[in-house]
Amino acid sequence: MKVIETNKLTKYYGKARGIIDVDLGIEKGELFGFIGPNGAGKSTTIRILLSLIYPTSGSAKILGKDVVEFGAEIKQDIGYLPSEVFYYDNMKVKDLLNYSASFYKKDCSKRIQELVEIMDLDTSKRIDDLSYGNKKKVGIVQGLLHNPKLIILDEPTGGLDPLMQQKFFNLLKEENNKGVTILLSSHILSEVQRLCDRVAIIKEGRIVNVEKMSDLAKSNYSRFKLELRNPIEEGLFTLDGVSGLKIENNSVSFMFKGDINTVTKIIASIDLLTLWVEEPDLEDIFLHYYE
Amino acid sequence: MNMLMHELRQNQKTTIIWTLSLVAGAALYLSLFPAFANETAALRKILEGYPPDFRKALGITIDSFASISGFYSFIIAFIMLAGSIQAMILGTSIVSKEERGKTAEFLLTKPVHRSQILTAKLVAALILILITNVVYMISVPLLLNAIAGATIALKTFLLLSLTLFFVQLFFLGLGFLISVSAPKIRSVLAVSLTTVFGFYTAGILDSIIGNTAIRYLTPFKYFDFSYIVKNGSYEIRFMVIEVVILILAITTSYYIYMKRDIRST
Repeated sequence: MKVIETNKLTKYYGKARGIIDVDLGIEKGELFGFIGPNGAGKSTTIRILLSLIYPTSGSAKILGKDVVEFGAEIKQDIGYLPSEVFYYDNMKVKDLLNYSASFYKKDCSKRIQELVEIMDLDTSKRIDDLSYGNKKKVGIVQGLLHNPKLIILDEPTGGLDPLMQQKFFNLLKEENNKGVTILLSSHILSEVQRLCDRVAIIKEGRIVNVEKMSDLAKSNYSRFKLELRNPIEEGLFTLDGVSGLKIENNSVSFMFKGDINTVTKIIASIDLLTLWVEEPDLEDIFLHYYE
Repeated sequence: MNMLMHELRQNQKTTIIWTLSLVAGAALYLSLFPAFANETAALRKILEGYPPDFRKALGITIDSFASISGFYSFIIAFIMLAGSIQAMILGTSIVSKEERGKTAEFLLTKPVHRSQILTAKLVAALILILITNVVYMISVPLLLNAIAGATIALKTFLLLSLTLFFVQLFFLGLGFLISVSAPKIRSVLAVSLTTVFGFYTAGILDSIIGNTAIRYLTPFKYFDFSYIVKNGSYEIRFMVIEVVILILAITTSYYIYMKRDIRST
């Protein structure tokens, strides 16, 4: 049984496009990334999964249950961390955490204690006295305190310093090792790259690709960068497999996919100062999808 | 239950302030009564000096003013106006504050049905209004005795004072409906004040013109105090109208909230 399964999930806000025909299948124990620029439909998808909004057509299931029909039951097992965290300002941190815990049919006090220690959070403070980063920490504890089977994170790391981010990611990995499924949405590639096994790329409301992270990085693209002694003819690198060609004064850069010998032969014929051939980072691949 | 307790805690301070203000307001007016009662003749002269329309607008009839039940009717009309604002603010904010304060993403991602959320909020608001009324009902008779040096027959007092509760219920229901259907209200206070004063003005208009169909539109006119004092009862048809409006407002609220998208801001 898939933990998250969507079928032709579509959402329009009036006439404005939210998402169109999104099909996702996320297995138990996966660390699944969801990546795309702002406005591509990541949050829309997540908000439907949490039944904050309802789909225009199509359906979504979590742990085998329809999100519209069984929203309340499903949420016993979901932990959610929104991109921006807002809580009742006049409450103390510990009161908010206890309030949050009171919704779940289990005793969460021990887990709260653990998480508070890991996240180094002062629970006696009032929410409105907290900095943005500390509010975020409250969000993390609040999202994990009931030992959810599925953790959904929407652009989670904003406002956390690198050290805290590291702690947070370790925490997520630990949860994942226990069999918890994680859906991480982000427009920051390195974040997804660090954490996820598989990634779905969303563009203008549609899923353009779902790939294993390792495959995505290993795709046989190479990034070429050349510094030349003399300017070259315009058409020299116009051949099959070259994309993103940029020629500026005496430097040339492009991405290449195909038989590497065709390029090296051309390069051999020119007078070089320096040559870099690199594996493309996710950013390049990403841009490739958004061309 | 946890949500109910949370709402009560969140609103306790404002409810205490409102309750004390209502009682204090009543006390202030009551302290004027001995002067009025002792100087009936002078009072009559002053009141006769006012234009009749002005007297009608304020609900003053010269004869009733010197009796405690008549005087109290005059007071309760103002208490009712203030209490309506309290109820309207409470109703208008109790659901919409979650979206305005962006805490909706916290509450609505918890394992609860939306109907449970609405019920908790509605019951909490009802309890808060009830508390206000109970405190009012207990303290004002004591004040009547202590400050005004007068007593009203218990039944008359209850009938007159309970109008506060019924009119508050009306505005609570109306506010609740607005709260659910227009969550992006910028200023709850502005919306509440305009609505309450709108209905109040309609009521004044009805008083000046005299028994028009406007009576059916504004809760401030559902309860005719001189009728209550004279007959010892409410007018049933207005009670029916109020109950129908309340049922409509509440069921519509549930219907809307169950279907609505909670949009991010």
